[in-house]
Amino acid sequence: MSRPMGRAVRKAYFVASVAGVLFFVMSVALLGVWPRRVIEAETAAMSPEHTVAMSASALRGRAIYAREGCGYCHTQQIRYLHTDMARFGLPTLSWETRFDYPHLWGTRRIGPDLSRATGTRSADWQFAHLFAPRSIVAGSVMPQYPALFDGAPDRPRQDARDLVTYLDSLGRARELAGPEGEARAREACNCPDDEMKQMAFGDQVNAHPARSRRGGAVPPLPAAGDLARGQALYGERCATCHGVAGAGDGPGAAALKPRPGNLAAHEYTDARIAEALWNGVAGSAMPAWRDYPPDDLAALVAAVRSLDATRTEPALPAHMAEIGARVYAANCQQCHGAEGDGRGTAAAELTMAPTNFRQQRPTLDLSLRALRNGIDGTPMAPWGSRLGADEMLAVAHHVRGFFAGGGR
Amino acid sequence: MVETAETRAVPRVDTALVHAHGIAALVTLLLSVTFGIVVAFQLIYPDLGAGRPWLSWGRLRYSHTQGIMLGWLGNAFFAFLYHAVPILSGRAVTSARLGHWLFALWNFAVMLPGWVLVLSGVSQPLEWAEFPLAVDAVVVVALLMAAVQFLPPFFARGLEYLYVSSWYIIGGLVFTLLAYPMGNVVPELVAGASGAAFSGLWIHDAVGLFVTPLALAIAYFVIPAATRRPIYSHFLSMLGFWLLFFLYPLNGTHHYVFSVIPMSAQLTAITASAVLGVDVIIVVANLLLSTRGAGIIPKDAGLRFVVTGIYCYLIVSIQGSLQAQMSINQAVHFTDWVVGHSHLAMLGFASFVAAGGLVHAWQRIAWARYNARAINYAYWLLVAGLLLMVVDLTIAGLVQGRLWAGGAPWIESVEASRLYWVIRAHGASWLLAGGFVALLIGLTTGPRGGGWQAVDEGVGAAPVDEIAPALQPLEGAAS
Repeated sequence: MSRPMGRAVRKAYFVASVAGVLFFVMSVALLGVWPRRVIEAETAAMSPEHTVAMSASALRGRAIYAREGCGYCHTQQIRYLHTDMARFGLPTLSWETRFDYPHLWGTRRIGPDLSRATGTRSADWQFAHLFAPRSIVAGSVMPQYPALFDGAPDRPRQDARDLVTYLDSLGRARELAGPEGEARAREACNCPDDEMKQMAFGDQVNAHPARSRRGGAVPPLPAAGDLARGQALYGERCATCHGVAGAGDGPGAAALKPRPGNLAAHEYTDARIAEALWNGVAGSAMPAWRDYPPDDLAALVAAVRSLDATRTEPALPAHMAEIGARVYAANCQQCHGAEGDGRGTAAAELTMAPTNFRQQRPTLDLSLRALRNGIDGTPMAPWGSRLGADEMLAVAHHVRGFFAGGGR
Repeated sequence: MVETAETRAVPRVDTALVHAHGIAALVTLLLSVTFGIVVAFQLIYPDLGAGRPWLSWGRLRYSHTQGIMLGWLGNAFFAFLYHAVPILSGRAVTSARLGHWLFALWNFAVMLPGWVLVLSGVSQPLEWAEFPLAVDAVVVVALLMAAVQFLPPFFARGLEYLYVSSWYIIGGLVFTLLAYPMGNVVPELVAGASGAAFSGLWIHDAVGLFVTPLALAIAYFVIPAATRRPIYSHFLSMLGFWLLFFLYPLNGTHHYVFSVIPMSAQLTAITASAVLGVDVIIVVANLLLSTRGAGIIPKDAGLRFVVTGIYCYLIVSIQGSLQAQMSINQAVHFTDWVVGHSHLAMLGFASFVAAGGLVHAWQRIAWARYNARAINYAYWLLVAGLLLMVVDLTIAGLVQGRLWAGGAPWIESVEASRLYWVIRAHGASWLLAGGFVALLIGLTTGPRGGGWQAVDEGVGAAPVDEIAPALQPLEGAAS
């Protein structure tokens, strides 16, 4: 080859090299630098005026989440898709992850998305689940993390507390922003005609079907549930906490406060079971099961009813009935209500709704134990030192008398 | 390459470094595959590991991909470069001593501490970037050393002789050096959605600017060298090369479709993904046309691995173009479909081609052991394992996507996956492990110099003496 030819080739290669580097620079500019400018402007305009930064505990928890690769099974990114939104809530806006160095968006979902994890599980549920996932969710494939605990799920180390603090912080800022925050973001977006962007705004920030809530309307369920289906479902989904026979003694029960309901020692109305399934039991580890079809829920109602192992209790001597009514009026009705429906004047302030005795009737034995010792993890105080044995017996009979479940 | 051998004295290949990186590649491969198999089994026996932190799913999963990309493919690429660069450029690599340092750094200052740190909980939660920043710094130093080692030979004599394989080598080394720090460092400095945009770039650049160019460099080298035929069309080579370097980096945001990252960036990436499929068709057509006469499953083991990898390259790229499209992405994103896709890319394409390059180089080391039977077993076991795994995970992904879209309780998608995870763990992973062990046996047992015999028996085999002078052991090299 002649020298001039060599020079031409040399020039061609020089031009090519410059072009090649420019391709790379262009990609970074188009898909990195420019989107960053747009995102940062959007973040500044759309974030609530005053937001809380992450707490030190949440930040430490975040480091644990990062270190253990949680983000490789749990995404933190709700996409602008109705299927994502129906399950998890409104799409993740850029300002929601602005403290994430580095981001934890994830590209695989083996477990559910966690960007709106706040308030969806109680802390004791999280601890029990982190310590031994299958003691709570039988079909889970999540790794166990006993190293975060001192040997038991109810003895979390600081690491476990931090991790749970972090999980419970996910999505909280958006919820706390409230309607004003949504309005501000919508205004800043200034995109009334952009159908996709509009998807990010709405009333229900968190749509998690397991999030428990108080008093949500329960849709009507089919009257007669399929018992066999219900029992199978109960075995797969409920027995971990409530126990195979419903005694509230499943493998996951020990660490939960309050302990899971003893389903064998209660008579329930169908409505009570449906309510607990649809809304969960706020203030306890009992999640809601709103992602289950009505037929399955009705089947579960039948299965829970079939666990009822209560027997006819001895009758109360007539002269004691008056004592029961008096003690109840003096000590119980503030919370449980004059009619025993759990709607006393103080009920709304309690972290957990007082038992509605019209819809559930505990055995005498269970009532007496609850009276004597209180119920750990609930506002129900122990009365053993304040009431005499006769008084407790009388009031236990009294609350059983509220049950209106003849027709259920 | 043929011209090179004819027109000037061929410099010696440092076979000791080819061999050392080859063995390191196989050892890191087996470790990385072990991590992969353990995580596959943990999905069906989640208590495997009994809660020991260093055996937990997340940390092993981090170690799996970093091991495959840097340990196995990195070492295999270096082994190939020590074989190919002197032959392509007509000059020896820069320095054997630099080579020893690079080897030591890559294996004992990147892989070893990287794994130890990740398993003990020091890492960063970024895909294809899980080794912590301190290790990233060593990687960048090592990549610089690699550039110094392998690039000057191409420029020392002017540029007239740059062969297509050389373009890919130069492109791969230079762009990896640019992309690696971007992907590993920027998301630590740029928060949330902006950081994710950069991560998206890197996820694709890791495959597109590091793995793909170097794998294609192997394909463009091994195919003509093994068939003794020139590349079908250098125009297509040129077109494919430039489209690749133009389009690959523009694909990044397709990992975050329907996200809050600006839609125009998403659409750019989706469009680039579609066009990239066309580019890959060009590249693959050119490569496969160059194998005319060698058969669909060539007899020569190195060529057979490479050609099989190229088939996978075609399938995985067209699949990638499709799954970047919104309608399909919506159905399969976040599912095992994508895990199947990435195994088709990293195992089916990159690992088969890298294994082919390794076998090809090994055949031409006069003193290296070579067990043709074991390598044959390796090939078939790997093909069977790959097919089973990819088909299995693709179906699993469709099932998961259906259940999610239908609003079924989340746990049902986990329970429905179990059958597919069982098939992957109990079926595919043993086939693949067997294949990789057979590959190790194939390259460490058998007669010394047995590879030359295999070349003679291969299709299109010409006298190996023609290129043999390049491949004698260096004086004083380990044997």
